[in-house]
Amino acid sequence: MPTPTSNTHESDQSSPDGLSRRSFLRSSAVLASGLAALAASLAPLRHLNDFPSLDQFLQKYYKELTPEEMAKVLKRIEDEVERQYGLRPHVRDLKPMNGVEFVYALNLTRCIGCRKCVHACVAENNQSRNPEIQYIRVVRLPHGSLDLEKAEHNYSPEQVPEKGYFYMPVQCQQCKNPPCVKVCPVHATWQEADGITVIDYNWCIGCRYCAAACPYWARHFNFTNPSIPKERLNLDMAYLGNRPRRQGVMEKCHFCVQRTRVGRYPACVEVCPVGARKFGNILDPESEVSSILRTKRVFVQLKEELGTSPRFFYYFDV
Amino acid sequence: MSKGERTGTVLLVLAVVFFALGLKFVSGFGTRPPAPQKIPLVDTQFLETATIRKSYAELIRTKADLSDFDCYACHEKGKPPVLRFDAKHDLIVPKEHEDVVMGHGTHNRNNNCFNCHDEQNLELLQARDGRQIKLAESVPLCGSCHGPTYRDWEAGAHGRTGGYWDRAAGPMKRQICVDCHNPHRPKIPPRKPAPGPHPLHPVAAVAAEASH
Repeated sequence: MPTPTSNTHESDQSSPDGLSRRSFLRSSAVLASGLAALAASLAPLRHLNDFPSLDQFLQKYYKELTPEEMAKVLKRIEDEVERQYGLRPHVRDLKPMNGVEFVYALNLTRCIGCRKCVHACVAENNQSRNPEIQYIRVVRLPHGSLDLEKAEHNYSPEQVPEKGYFYMPVQCQQCKNPPCVKVCPVHATWQEADGITVIDYNWCIGCRYCAAACPYWARHFNFTNPSIPKERLNLDMAYLGNRPRRQGVMEKCHFCVQRTRVGRYPACVEVCPVGARKFGNILDPESEVSSILRTKRVFVQLKEELGTSPRFFYYFDV
Repeated sequence: MSKGERTGTVLLVLAVVFFALGLKFVSGFGTRPPAPQKIPLVDTQFLETATIRKSYAELIRTKADLSDFDCYACHEKGKPPVLRFDAKHDLIVPKEHEDVVMGHGTHNRNNNCFNCHDEQNLELLQARDGRQIKLAESVPLCGSCHGPTYRDWEAGAHGRTGGYWDRAAGPMKRQICVDCHNPHRPKIPPRKPAPGPHPLHPVAAVAAEASH
């Protein structure tokens, strides 16, 4: 460390080895401040209490994992969740089913804006409660237009539906041409064969490009460690689905892969009290969604002019 | 004051400043983000997947108390009850049936009990073509007037579904008309919405900022 006190001629009490008291004090003050500055710069590390394990750090890309490696990864995730929450989950890696392409249809005539879907989704998919991460946003629009500039999602009347308004829940539209997938620099998000765009939470680097690219505000970032109360944890988990996320990764609606890839309906469909939400396999001509797209007045894919070609359709009763 | 001394003093002052700053950061004083706002957990009533009401078929299935449906505990067999209407031709609901609020059809048009109930056998329903229909199998009766809705319901476009979309994996659970609609007052009653999103910054502050 260069100190300006090398000339010992001014010093009144030179020590035998040439270091004056003043120069010693000065050097030690500078050294102490340097150490303090170093400690200060490292201070954020004190808040890092869950370093990723070596296995987690060296884990391969989802698509490159062999079944044996996947089994190990799933076991490790189960251990991690158990360590954090004290409950043993069941984590599966579910692959798309053959001959299945999922499509969602939502009846705008029926939706009453009660937001039950929002909270059923949060409960099913282990989303952070504080700060809140919600995959579904219900917007209120005045009758007679579909001008999203007039959309309001903080409505809180005593009772819904309100006179003169209709409600439009918006969530991931599972686009056929997803802008979020295109911008991901590390291929941590991709479209699966059944049409669901998924995220490998272990591969995401948290750059948030996808959130900027999504025109539906469907992608949500974990700015802090998510907080999920233990008693509300859903233990039926999937690798690409609702396993707990970490700070610094993206998450989004994945049509409840942990349910739909074993043949069940998504949580939001089951909870809707008025039956406005419809889900199914578009490749099956007998499914509800097929008959809706064939026979009902399906008005749009939201923001269809952007060319994202959503698999989420809004329809009306005639 | 020589040049060396001045430099030394400046360095000393800087050292003290850095030391103080270091202490401040290490102690964490004033650098922690503000404590997150309290967000109460959502009431579990909003996670409930039960239907709006229980149909007669559902009551049978769950072996509930069916004494309310024992018409001939009070009525006399073979003697159809007489309906009374007020000056505006609205049905006067007798005190014994005060839980029934009539409100079926615009302008309360469907206000004659025997449009649906069978006056000869009160424990049955009857379609307009005279067919007798059991209380638990009321869907065709509703469909006899609400054709397009019946068609949509059969195709799965109307009404609630649950269970499995994949028939090979498990049963699909379909609800019938009266699982959600009260036949005497079919409009879905308004309800309290679940709490809205809690923004990171209180809504009032955002609104105040927007008005500037």
